[in-house]
Parts: sequence; C-alpha cells; structure tokens
Amino acid sequence: MPVILEFLSWLLMFSGLVFCFIGALGLLKLPDLFSRMHAAGIIDTLGVGLIISGLFIQTGFTLVFAKLLMVLVFIFFASPTATHALARAAINGRVLPNVKNSDVPVPVDNNLISGETQN
Amino acid sequence: MIPNLQHKTILRVVSKFLIPFILLFALYVQWHGDYGPGGGFQAGVIFASGFILYTLIFGVTRVRKVIPSWVTRLTLALGVLIYSGVGIATLIRGGNFLDYNVLSENAIQGQHIGILLVEFGVGVTVFSAMVTIFITFAGQNRN
Amino acid sequence: MKLKINDGEFVIETLIIMVLLSFMLIIGLAVAHIRNLFSVVILTGIFSLIGAVIYVVMDAVDVAFTEAAVGAGVSTVLLLSTLILVDSKEKVTPGLNSFVAFILVTLTGGVLIFGTIDMPKFGDFKAPIHNHVTPRYLTKSSKEIGIPNVVTSVLASYRGYDTLGETFVIFTAAIGVLAIIGRGRRKPEQAIKHAKGETFDDT
Repeated sequence: MPVILEFLSWLLMFSGLVFCFIGALGLLKLPDLFSRMHAAGIIDTLGVGLIISGLFIQTGFTLVFAKLLMVLVFIFFASPTATHALARAAINGRVLPNVKNSDVPVPVDNNLISGETQN
Repeated sequence: MIPNLQHKTILRVVSKFLIPFILLFALYVQWHGDYGPGGGFQAGVIFASGFILYTLIFGVTRVRKVIPSWVTRLTLALGVLIYSGVGIATLIRGGNFLDYNVLSENAIQGQHIGILLVEFGVGVTVFSAMVTIFITFAGQNRN
Repeated sequence: MKLKINDGEFVIETLIIMVLLSFMLIIGLAVAHIRNLFSVVILTGIFSLIGAVIYVVMDAVDVAFTEAAVGAGVSTVLLLSTLILVDSKEKVTPGLNSFVAFILVTLTGGVLIFGTIDMPKFGDFKAPIHNHVTPRYLTKSSKEIGIPNVVTSVLASYRGYDTLGETFVIFTAAIGVLAIIGRGRRKPEQAIKHAKGETFDDT
C-alpha cells in the first residue's frame, strides 16, 4: 500500500483517538447529566467514525470493507437512540437540565433542585 | 410540568427498523459457526436480545402475543431434545453416543451434519432460556 | 504491534493486558464497596466488556464474542430487570468486621499465590496441557472434521458430551427461574379463580 495512504489512515485513526480522549474528558468533567451525554455523543460519532474511516483505507474494497460499513451504519442508528432513551429516562426520573436563562421552556418540578435525582 | 413521555415514537420506529437486522445477524452467527467466530451460544443470546429489545419498548403483554408462554416452554426443551436426539440417532446407527461419523456414508459429511444439528439445538435452548428468564423478571410488579 | 525481546515476550501486548487487568481489579473493588445497586450493575457490565477486550488481545475471538454478548449484553439487562424486585440500595449489615476472618482469608490467598509459582509459564510449549490431546486436536481437526474453525470442532465434536452438559445447565437455570418466581402478575379475579382450580394457568 502506498505510503501516502498508510499515512492518511494512521492520521485518521489518531485523530479518532484524540476525539475519544476529548469525549472521555468531557464525560468526567462536565457538570450536568445532559451535557455529559453530549460528550458521550462525540465519542460515538466522531471517535468511532474517524477510526473506522482509517480502517476503511487499510482494507480496500473487500468483504471487510462492507462489514465495517455496516458496523458504522448500525452504530449511527443505535447510539443517538440510546442517548434519546437515556434523556427520556432522566426526565422521567426527575433529573432536570441545569439551565439559568433560557428561551426554551424547560420542565420545572418545583420540589427538586435542578440536577439532583429523586433518590 | 413534566412532558408527556408515554409516546415512545422514536424508540418504536428505530427498534422496528433494527430488530429484523438483529435477528438476521443472529441467524448469520448461528450458521457461520463453522467458518468464523460464532456458534450456538452467541447466536442464541443475540436472537434473545432482539426479543428483549422488543419487550423493553412495547411491553410484556405484547411480546407474550408474539411468543406465548407455551412456545418458550416448548423450545426450551426442544433444544436439549435435538442435541440428545442426535446422540441417540448415532447410537441407533451403530456408533458410540455422539459419534457423528456414522450419521452419513462419508465421515466428514457426518461430522458436518452432526455439528450443525447440535449447534442448532444449543442455539434454540439458549434463546428460550434468556427470553424466559427476562420475561419472568420483567413481568413482575414493583414491590 | 509486537516487539520481541530476549525470551520472546511481546511487550505491547503484555502492557495492554496488564493495564486492562488493573482496570478489572479496580472495578472489582468498586463493586464490592459501592452500596448503590444500580451503579454496581453497570460496573458489572463494564467488567465483562473489559474482559471481552482482554480475550480479543489474547486472540480468543469466540470467547470474546460470547463474553461481550452474554456478560456485557444480556446479563446486564437481566440484572437491571431484577432491580425491579429489590431495593436500589444495599442494606448495611452491622457487625461483620472480623479481624480473624480477614487474617484467615489473607493467609489462604497467600498460600494459593505461593502455589502458583510452581506452575508453568503462560503459554509454555512444554506444559502438560499442550502435550496431551491439544496437538491431536490441532493437527487432525481439518482431516477428521473438515471445518476451518477449530474452536467449534473441539466444542461440538471432540468435546460434544461436555457441551451437552452445558446445554442441560442452561435449561436447568431457566427451569429454576420458572419454578421459583413462576407465573407473572395476576389480577385478583384470576387469582381467586386459580385458587379454586377453575382456570388454566398462563404466564
């Protein structure tokens, strides 16, 4: 495989690694549940997408390429759905987003401080 | 006021799209256990996870319309019966218990037939065990 | 990436396995220590997932597949559905700190670890496990059975009797759950009818 293609694939995988690290850092450091879900979303889209793109270049047009493509498609379907389900479960469990001044109406439960769970 | 969360629209649509692919992938893993990673155990678990996803989103009552309880009880025993049945068939045809060589004239073909049937039995039992356990737990009321 | 040093060890692979095993150790300690059962269930799922990654690094792909599907997938969901039936916080039982028990457990663990020093190195050619039936399985599998995947040929053909026993174990587990927890919820009218023997039972 030509050197330029190999270099490109390793560059893509390394940037995928960088985005996974940024997502993990955000997962630890961000203050609110909903903003942490954004960080996890970065790992699932940019991180996985760039790493699999790097692997595309490494295999060329074979059966493994098709399998990797299907893995990418199913991750793109499943991960936002999982985030959506998590957000639904959070609002159902009375964990509310931590917003100060916002035009969007936020569901307010007057008995709870925002950000705290019911248990 | 908390928004109305009874309409799980996005989850219903996406799961209706994904569940056929999950079941298809389980069948792929079942029959390709000879040529790559896979086999009965993994395939049974993946097939059951399709049904578990359906249960999580649509509820226990609806999934009991899809697979009634007599079906899971039947398949639970059927898988073990298939496996032991292969062993008894080899006994009847003259070999040892679970000696697949005697299942066909060609020994290698007998081995292939034996392995396919046996893995199918394992897959069926594992699938019904997982579905039974999950639906039994999920059908309980909260204390 | 495999770098061989003097006695043929693979450095990067060993390093990855050591880091992942230390993660598993930390998760194990956390599972024992944390009282919130929901967090414990999620940590158990992560434990199985890291175990699956270690199996992949060790080139055992079938086992990794099964561990990821069962441990990180269905087992987590089953444990979460069990949380419906119990409290979400573990009860603290007082008075269990016993110094004698701690000493006894430490001594037993120390003796066991001392016993493993005599075992052959991991993956050694001359270990007894690699010289008895394993060469026969590996060399004769393609001639006697003819399928490419040796794991399936050992599991389903050479050791088919053990797999029959495993299937019976899974069957018994499901029967056990049905026998203990049994039928699902029942409306009061149906419960009365069932007690009088007037209805066929359905879960």
